[in-house]
Amino acid sequence: MCGVCGIVGYDGPPDLALLRRMMGRLGHRGPDGNGCYRDRRAALGHTRLAIIDTSGGAQPLCNEDGTVWVTFNGEIFNYVELGEELRHRGHTFRTASDTEVIVHAWEEWGEECFSRFNGQWAIALWDRRAERLVLSRDRLGVRPLFFIRLPTGLLFASEVKSIFADPSVARAFDPAGLDQTFTYWSPVAPRTVFRGIEQLEPGHYAVLDRDGFRKAPYWRSTFPERGREPVQDAQENAEALRERIIEATRLRFLRSDVPVGAYLSGGLDSSVTAAVISRYTDAPLHTFSLRFSDSEFDEGQYQKKMSAVLGTQHQDIVVSPSDIAAVFPEVVRHAETPILRAAPAPLFLLSKLVRENGYKVVVTGEGADEVLAGYDLFREARVRLFWSRDPGSAKRTRAAELLYPWMARSPGRMPAFARSFFGRHLDPDDPAVSHRPRWDSTSVIKSMLSGDLQDGIGRAGAEDVVAAMPPGSEDWDPLSRGQWLEMTTLLAGYILASQGDRMLMANSVEGRFPFLDREVVDFANALPARHKLFGLEEKYLLKRAFADLVPDDIIHRPKQPYRAPDAASFFTADRPAWFDEVMSERAVAAAGVFEPSVVAGLLAKCRRTDGKNMSNTDNMRVLAIVSTQLTHESFIAERGCGAPERALPDPSVAVDLVTDDRSVP
Amino acid sequence: MVAVNRDLVEQVLRDYDALRRPDADPELQAVRAAILLEDVFEVALSDAEIDPVVFADPSAVAALVARRRGTF
Repeated sequence: MCGVCGIVGYDGPPDLALLRRMMGRLGHRGPDGNGCYRDRRAALGHTRLAIIDTSGGAQPLCNEDGTVWVTFNGEIFNYVELGEELRHRGHTFRTASDTEVIVHAWEEWGEECFSRFNGQWAIALWDRRAERLVLSRDRLGVRPLFFIRLPTGLLFASEVKSIFADPSVARAFDPAGLDQTFTYWSPVAPRTVFRGIEQLEPGHYAVLDRDGFRKAPYWRSTFPERGREPVQDAQENAEALRERIIEATRLRFLRSDVPVGAYLSGGLDSSVTAAVISRYTDAPLHTFSLRFSDSEFDEGQYQKKMSAVLGTQHQDIVVSPSDIAAVFPEVVRHAETPILRAAPAPLFLLSKLVRENGYKVVVTGEGADEVLAGYDLFREARVRLFWSRDPGSAKRTRAAELLYPWMARSPGRMPAFARSFFGRHLDPDDPAVSHRPRWDSTSVIKSMLSGDLQDGIGRAGAEDVVAAMPPGSEDWDPLSRGQWLEMTTLLAGYILASQGDRMLMANSVEGRFPFLDREVVDFANALPARHKLFGLEEKYLLKRAFADLVPDDIIHRPKQPYRAPDAASFFTADRPAWFDEVMSERAVAAAGVFEPSVVAGLLAKCRRTDGKNMSNTDNMRVLAIVSTQLTHESFIAERGCGAPERALPDPSVAVDLVTDDRSVP
Repeated sequence: MVAVNRDLVEQVLRDYDALRRPDADPELQAVRAAILLEDVFEVALSDAEIDPVVFADPSAVAALVARRRGTF
């Protein structure tokens, strides 16, 4: 896992000093080394977190004759098999790294190589002879890749702060990006919250050459027509799923030249991945968990139970609301976008614990909720469709009582509220019937926006993610449509980004996600929906497949979504001074996103209860405002880089064909 | 539409039975079962058919699904 950046210039050689500044802003992603390459048209930079072939494998790396160069962030887990195939086809390898496989795979198969990769990546390939830059991003967006197209050329990087190293890049919020964030929880690729900054869509590659700039997908998330799924037998599918998850987990645990740890959340998904590692590998396992001082959010008893069952060396960190407030500015600087929950902050502290214990790779259960239908949103959708068949039925209304039995303030105890909330926009033909309640409740944030921003959003025009659903999706099961929307919006934009890559890489830790393995995802997408959500039983097939490895009380515990204290984190007696500063009327007016008087009213309301017992909507409002203010302060107002710029050590690779200076190990 | 036969009905009911952790309230249990049956078999039940007595008997459920789908 690493940081990548680069420049393609239209008017002469790229500025090497700018490239070094861009690399310096990615130092946290790659503290183990760095390298750069430049010719008369392009420059590539790399900061390295050394995991595979730690002694070789320095980047940028080239093919046999130095005509194709690559800078790469991520892992190609099937690099061993691909390397063997490429050697048989006559390619000569100098290293044992997965990076070199990319170069030769590109030579051999061109853009078709990406569909052969099983992994998580952001890749930039530079073909000197063709003067062609190729960017590629993994199927689901595990690894980030941003770029900006300027009149003078194109800049790309793993993080926006690296692109902002160029002082000529204008900094402003993109109203449409904010509009998406305050609807879907994050911008939807290619959009970001910064004007002019784009992110490559997951599953896509982009080409910049003499013919211009273009993008194309090499993979799309797709589902079979309902009733035409290839295998209808649940037991057969459970066995096949198990096989794929075991293989995906083994690949992610074993294909590393440094020790790999695992997260244990106390839930089903990470319990499965940790149990598979314990059962199917010989290596000792070190597990890490996140706990909360507030018992409402804590899952410590389940974490301890699972750790004891597996006999892992286990460590945890207990996070309090004050801890969240203390690190929140740093969290937003790494997330580089407004976030509507405080949940990324504890994950930032967890990856710090991992790093302090000498680990730089962890396997986690991320992705299972999207791929195998674990989210409450899918259960809610099923209840909504149940209601829609007879909206007047009192008996059907009682289905609200089956949602959220784990919550103290369960809708089951407030059926009228639940029926009203989840009963809105109850159109069974709406492709986004699963997501309307969430999008509606999130959009409440927009009532607080300043008039100028609302005008800006109006001018930009609404971008409807539903319109981008693939042809034929009307024949999918409703659950599949919900899964597609979730993978397209929240998974890539928030779960894998603000809660994933950014919080892990902030502390130089790589996350590996077996549930997002190519084989697992393609197989899961082809399952009958009832094998994923069986009635209201979420992740049914996963539970069935691993019933022998995970204790019953973890398999059957009601799902507890990962959450952290939100508004309450910012209204403790010892809250840091920065909060009052960024939320002041002056600062809110300066950022221009929210209406200062409305913000003042919300803060007064929070102060009355110290931020406790706030509604879901108010919690989200507070987080939206504070994180937007911090984003503005870090990236727009101060024109800083959002994080300390690191002085890079001497590069391992330094090739400058403009001055004909070469230093390649 | 998924091809439904008596084997599939019985398999689904067996799987559901293996999962079932009884709700204290029989009517709620019936609602839970109705959500499953309507989704899997693409039928719509009446309030009268969302009945704990019907759902306690696999044969009655199979007959109900068949009647609603007009199959078997």
